[in-house]
Amino acid sequence: MNIFQKIYNYRELLKTNVKKEIRGKYKNSILGIVWSFLNPLLQLAVYSVIFGALLAGGDPTYHIYICVALIPWTFFTTSITQSAFTIIGNGDIIKKVYFPREILPISVVASGAVNFVISTIIILFFVLIAGMGITKYILLYPVVLLIQCVLQLGISFIVSSITVYFRDLEHIIGIVLLAAFYATPIVYKVEQLPANLQVLMNLNPMTHIINGYRSIFYYQQMPNMKALGILLLISIALTVLGYFIFKHLQKGFAEEL
Amino acid sequence: MKESDDIAIKVENVNKSFNIYYDRANTLKERMLFFARNKRREKREVLKGINLTIKKGETVALIGVNGSGKSTLLKLMTQIIYPNSGTVETYGKLTSLLELGAGFHPDFSGRENIYFNASIFGLTRKEIDNRLDEIIEFSELRDFIDNPVKTYSSGMYMRLAFSVAINVDAEILLIDEILSVGDQHFQEKCFAKMKQLRAEGKTMVFVTHSMDSVRNLCDRAVWLYNGEIRMDGNTNEVVDEYLRVTT
Repeated sequence: MNIFQKIYNYRELLKTNVKKEIRGKYKNSILGIVWSFLNPLLQLAVYSVIFGALLAGGDPTYHIYICVALIPWTFFTTSITQSAFTIIGNGDIIKKVYFPREILPISVVASGAVNFVISTIIILFFVLIAGMGITKYILLYPVVLLIQCVLQLGISFIVSSITVYFRDLEHIIGIVLLAAFYATPIVYKVEQLPANLQVLMNLNPMTHIINGYRSIFYYQQMPNMKALGILLLISIALTVLGYFIFKHLQKGFAEEL
Repeated sequence: MKESDDIAIKVENVNKSFNIYYDRANTLKERMLFFARNKRREKREVLKGINLTIKKGETVALIGVNGSGKSTLLKLMTQIIYPNSGTVETYGKLTSLLELGAGFHPDFSGRENIYFNASIFGLTRKEIDNRLDEIIEFSELRDFIDNPVKTYSSGMYMRLAFSVAINVDAEILLIDEILSVGDQHFQEKCFAKMKQLRAEGKTMVFVTHSMDSVRNLCDRAVWLYNGEIRMDGNTNEVVDEYLRVTT
């Protein structure tokens, strides 16, 4: 049976997983869903204050500059950290029931995407407050989001399956993501870097994703579609590769857990 | 009619072994520090060259002493684990009741858990909606169905789990040691339900130590001994021989 058919048959599992993920996240906290907004807002406040003093150079829209990057970045990091844990965390079910294991990394990315779309309200809020408005380029938001999802799905397949055999990966990922935060133009501008670092920066897939969102919401201009197109192709290739790695490794999940 | 049309499960030349580690290194640090220790592992062959064909509509019991490989064979059929060599093929929608209540979430209500659990078995929302009343009815938990599952007694928990599993409408059911669910009354109800499923032409494979249920439900028994099939055939003959040898 091909993979798409399998996933379609188990769509209800995918849906309940995503729902559980989103509802369960803040279930026992007093503020509940409010945290979905409060969390990124407070994070944004911290970064704006610290990096604003260091890097902004008096730019009054600096917090928006960070905001349009920080929110997709949070989506990126949470989905990767969660991927590392998803197979181990669902060990109980994996050992007892058959279902297409691919559902697990897919639902991590899917629930992250839902959260991200909700958090986009924060971006819109800031853009509107600052009087920048929304332009027709917002129509490209789903396109950038799609590319980001495909990219993350590929990483998610690889990370989730390898962690089962190599638990250190969970910790390594934390460090790599921390370094990646500074290797992505989130708090600074690419132009502020020396030329040779700028070239290096272009090899980071998240640079193009962040630039995409930033073009749409902040600069309100056409995103670099060529870069995004290439990234989409690479992401598809990564997802296919990731799927085969996952497919191969999943055979041993029940025994390794 | 193709040959595979009336076959439900086909197991061919299956070998399965597990690595038994004495002290398992999970992290890189442990692996490097205790390099020598990792070598201390043992390969245990659990199944050796198993061939087994189960036809559609058959009710088969896998019997044998502990450690004979019954549950491993059942897990291979479910595709939870995979063989080292050989093939396991199944034809038709398959449900395994290896352990009840997989995927139950204690904080959610019984009703919500029916949805979670049934979705793991691959049912769609609509299919679950259609079966919801039947499931609740069967579990006899109507008064408690909207309470969180963590407030249930273990008997209630098992009843709910069994009711979901038995109502997912699979063509092949793989059942491991779960015929002792709940009180006498509920057990009898389960038996009646299984007999009904058998009459409907479902394929069922049981792993159990209860020879009474085997005689009662199954028309074929397969006796596993040390990872090999020792005897395969008519239930009463196999069970009689098994009891004669082991007791």
